[in-house]
Amino acid sequence: MTTETSTIETKDDTKQTGLVVVEMQHLKKSFGDKEVLLDINLVMNKGENLVILGKSGTGKSVLIKCIVGLMEIDDGKLLLFGQDISELKAKELTELHRKIGFLFQSGALYDSMTVRENLEFPLRRQVTKVSKKEMDELVKEALENVGLSDTIDMTPSELSGGMRKRLGLARTLILKPEIMLYDEPSTGLDPITSKEISNLILEVQKNYHTSSIIITHDRECAKLTANRVIVIKDGVCAAEGSYAELEKSDDPWVRSFFE
Amino acid sequence: MEKIILEHFQNKKQEAEIIPKSVSVIISNTVVDKFFLEVYSLTIFTARFFREVVKPPYEFNELMKQSFLIGYKSLSLVAVTSFIIGLVLTVQSRPTLAKFGAESLLPVMVAISIIREIGPVITALIFAGKVGSGIGAELASMNVTEQIDAMQVSHTNPFKYLVVTRVLSATIMLPVLVVFSDAVGLFGSYIAVNLKGNVSYYLFFSQIFQSLEFKDLFPALIKTFFFGFAIGLIGCYKGYNSNKGTEGVGKAANSAVVFASLMVFIIDMIAVQITSLIQN
Repeated sequence: MTTETSTIETKDDTKQTGLVVVEMQHLKKSFGDKEVLLDINLVMNKGENLVILGKSGTGKSVLIKCIVGLMEIDDGKLLLFGQDISELKAKELTELHRKIGFLFQSGALYDSMTVRENLEFPLRRQVTKVSKKEMDELVKEALENVGLSDTIDMTPSELSGGMRKRLGLARTLILKPEIMLYDEPSTGLDPITSKEISNLILEVQKNYHTSSIIITHDRECAKLTANRVIVIKDGVCAAEGSYAELEKSDDPWVRSFFE
Repeated sequence: MEKIILEHFQNKKQEAEIIPKSVSVIISNTVVDKFFLEVYSLTIFTARFFREVVKPPYEFNELMKQSFLIGYKSLSLVAVTSFIIGLVLTVQSRPTLAKFGAESLLPVMVAISIIREIGPVITALIFAGKVGSGIGAELASMNVTEQIDAMQVSHTNPFKYLVVTRVLSATIMLPVLVVFSDAVGLFGSYIAVNLKGNVSYYLFFSQIFQSLEFKDLFPALIKTFFFGFAIGLIGCYKGYNSNKGTEGVGKAANSAVVFASLMVFIIDMIAVQITSLIQN
């Protein structure tokens, strides 16, 4: 079991001492002949917001899909909560994955269901059954947290892009995950809505005490949410540091992300 | 298609390393290769269906919902087409039978045509057009918008929730629709007979039921289960394995209808051969 004690600065200006919740060692992933991730080594601490930057097609989304189990790694080690996933049985791995939430780029709301049904769906799939009353309360609370209480009986097609993202976040948070993975949370949104989403990510970190990996191209979102930034280039982690550090990097390629 | 092959191999860890190479070797552009690759992946998909269908948990609520959507929502379309076919078949057959002085055999002839062949095949083709394309497009669009991935992240087996329920619903509901279609078709025939004559309701239907035998009804009903299974399975297969992008949604819906309709005819041909072998 790999545990590493570290101190991180959260965006709400509090100091947190935590363990390593996600660790990747020499992780590789390819699709046919195309090698996407060549040698990824990274560590995410408990309570930290880790932003991953990189050009399109560098495998940032693939990386977080490997964490949540949507894709399998080809080689290397992936440790979740200190446990090597290759040594776990399917049931144990499922239990670990239950602690991870994933916000999809498009929100990935179920079109055939109402907002209420979308939020109830993950609750119904839990091992521990939730009563109707509890479910109603959880749905109400989740919607209030993202400011969408009025939309409960609407369908996803009636919602705007920003609302869909917020609802996607509410659906993920309803299970109170310990790790949140955000796949380009502000893509396709106007600057104001984008800032709202970034603030929501900070609120989630503060209120739910989650550790998050945020994949983004949005400089403002990265600046606002990141405790630490990793830049991926050619399938490896090319640079790592705080936003302020990387902004002043000597490497012009790294600096170009912040200009 | 590539996805399903990968999924299949990924179940066996020691084989995982050979995936990329074998896939790149297998995938070639020739029509023959594509055909066999399609058959191979459809076989894996079918095998997975049979594995998942017996494995708990069972998605009863979704099965009921899909049966309602697939079956009940198709009733009006099936009713209209069956009524018209029964009516037209009777009107078209009357002059020929009248030439041989066999007009009195009209109800029996139409009934046997409808129950044995026209009812099941026409209903299955309508079903393939409405339900097969609907399933293909729905699953493909869920694939494009990452809803299937979201389901997996919500700790739900998307294959069980989406594919198994839809295939089972199609398999169960098509025979029900065919029985309904046969009844409406015969009613259409009764109306047509009375357009140029005066045959009582009782006489018309008693003539039909006296002439019908078990061998007319049973094989016709059995084959509809296979029609429903094939339509549901092909619709799900095309949608679940569609390419990402809106183009993939259109392609999935289109090819689901084409392949499902083709399968209906192939199954019908096999069923007729088996039936005649048994009866002889």
